[in-house]
Amino acid sequence: MCSMIPPSVSSFPLTVYSYLQQTFNSTVLIIFKEKTMRTHVLLLILLFGFINAFAQSNEVDGSSYSRDEKGYELRTKMTIPPYGLAKVKKMIETITFKEDPLGSSDGGIEAISATQFKSLSLREKFTYVMIHAELSQQNCAIPEYQNDIQKRIFSQLETGFNEASWSQRQADFLMGNRDSVMKLIQESVVRSKRMGVNYKEAILEMNAWEMIPFIISYIKSTAQDKDALTLLMLLMKRGEFDEFMKSTSYQKLYGPDANYYSFLNYNKANEVLICERASRYYKEKTLK
Amino acid sequence: MIKNFWILLLGMVICTSHSFAQVQRFIDIEAGTYILGDTLSLDNPRRAVTLSHFSIAETELTNEAFAAFVASTDYITLAERFHNAMVFEPGLAEFRWLQDSTAYWRFPNGTSRGGIEDKMNHPVTCISYRDALAYCEWAGVRLPSLEEWEVASRAGSQTKYFEGVELDNIMDYANIWHGRNHLVADTTDGFLYTSPVKTFKANPWGLYDVYGNVFEFCEGSLVRDQGRKVAHARGGSWWCSKNSCASFNSQYIGSVNPNASFSNLGLRVAKKK
Repeated sequence: MCSMIPPSVSSFPLTVYSYLQQTFNSTVLIIFKEKTMRTHVLLLILLFGFINAFAQSNEVDGSSYSRDEKGYELRTKMTIPPYGLAKVKKMIETITFKEDPLGSSDGGIEAISATQFKSLSLREKFTYVMIHAELSQQNCAIPEYQNDIQKRIFSQLETGFNEASWSQRQADFLMGNRDSVMKLIQESVVRSKRMGVNYKEAILEMNAWEMIPFIISYIKSTAQDKDALTLLMLLMKRGEFDEFMKSTSYQKLYGPDANYYSFLNYNKANEVLICERASRYYKEKTLK
Repeated sequence: MIKNFWILLLGMVICTSHSFAQVQRFIDIEAGTYILGDTLSLDNPRRAVTLSHFSIAETELTNEAFAAFVASTDYITLAERFHNAMVFEPGLAEFRWLQDSTAYWRFPNGTSRGGIEDKMNHPVTCISYRDALAYCEWAGVRLPSLEEWEVASRAGSQTKYFEGVELDNIMDYANIWHGRNHLVADTTDGFLYTSPVKTFKANPWGLYDVYGNVFEFCEGSLVRDQGRKVAHARGGSWWCSKNSCASFNSQYIGSVNPNASFSNLGLRVAKKK
């Protein structure tokens, strides 16, 4: 598909080459074809010729910075549901390793077919959605500064899917089976005693405020997972809970000067405040 | 013979003068040891890097240049083949993009949002990393390495931005998003999406649009890739805002599927000096 530059002009500077291809009028082409001019063209090529050189990297980082590996792993770790896992994984392999005839590894297709998706049971679909995101995503907001994670409550969750996100079909599945998905997440968290970032993302995607009491009980039993507090705040933000929107926490995490790296310092008082506020939000929602 | 030589040169000047904007200028970067990275970064730690001479384009690659490539080769981009391009329209939540089967480089945000007919001097977008490589192969150039890009963008600075730039005045140097979020269209600087290259101020070494307009594909891999096939892009784009990822600087390195096409992803070419 992609034709190569003729070898005789392969080292021609881009500017000159583009111009030769696009803007040469017939007069110049005639001149160019003259044998006597070839010497001058070669001289021009030499003038713009390349010099072989290769970059070398020499790491001399003297930083004392070290990432909180354990904390970071907790923030990015996903929970893998057990429902039909082997079957779903096998199905994913059929798309991930499909060789494109034109040389692209997977052709940009990251989804199983509609027929395959339809053939999965609800629980298997849940597994598929929780372990595989179909849509491409730019991963530009990578909070690298992941030290002292246990001392921070971040404004945003990390992502478990790296350069991918859920497609409309996957988001529709979550919303269309909201009650069932909430039950499956709850069941899985109780069993594994942890709530992966994919589960948290699903709760947000579904705006599952009904899970607030469960999330609070999870926080009490899993002290190291500060992102569960982030999840509560994101649910209150999503619901535009007035008390939270007017709070200092909101201003600091989501106000005019905030960004995806903003955080609150973790302490017991902040944890209690977030949980109590979320409980009030839950009560308000249930009364409506 | 000498007379013919001057006729050739004159012909070249005449032919290029009316379309000077399409000619790609390169900035020479001297060989040397440069300090790159940041002390708090794991993927891009503070370090000294020794580079050989290289040249890097003063602007991002334009639609006009990419059109010449397509006209010459009949190349079909991945977005055209697989209809998997990702586009943006105001109203989407942060970091949300839409898949649009009609989008490709001639209609970077889909046919319903207009084409590039009057935007030939804007950076080409909606091309994947693999498309970028195909262009480079044809044009006899290459993508800059992650290190080369950073050296050229910093222009001698050892901070997050090149000299003269701070978060408060970066809008003078970069086509970025000024709104608090992406729910409402932002045309504060006159551009919703891309702008013509060289609209904003250059860095001290003469590179334009380093922190805005479109993210630029680079060559290289990071620890966080963990062996996966990942493309990396640097700089910033018209989508980026200080309230989202604030990723428009010389330090951060973005990641994307090498087959994915986004309307804020393009390239800036490089070559050996």
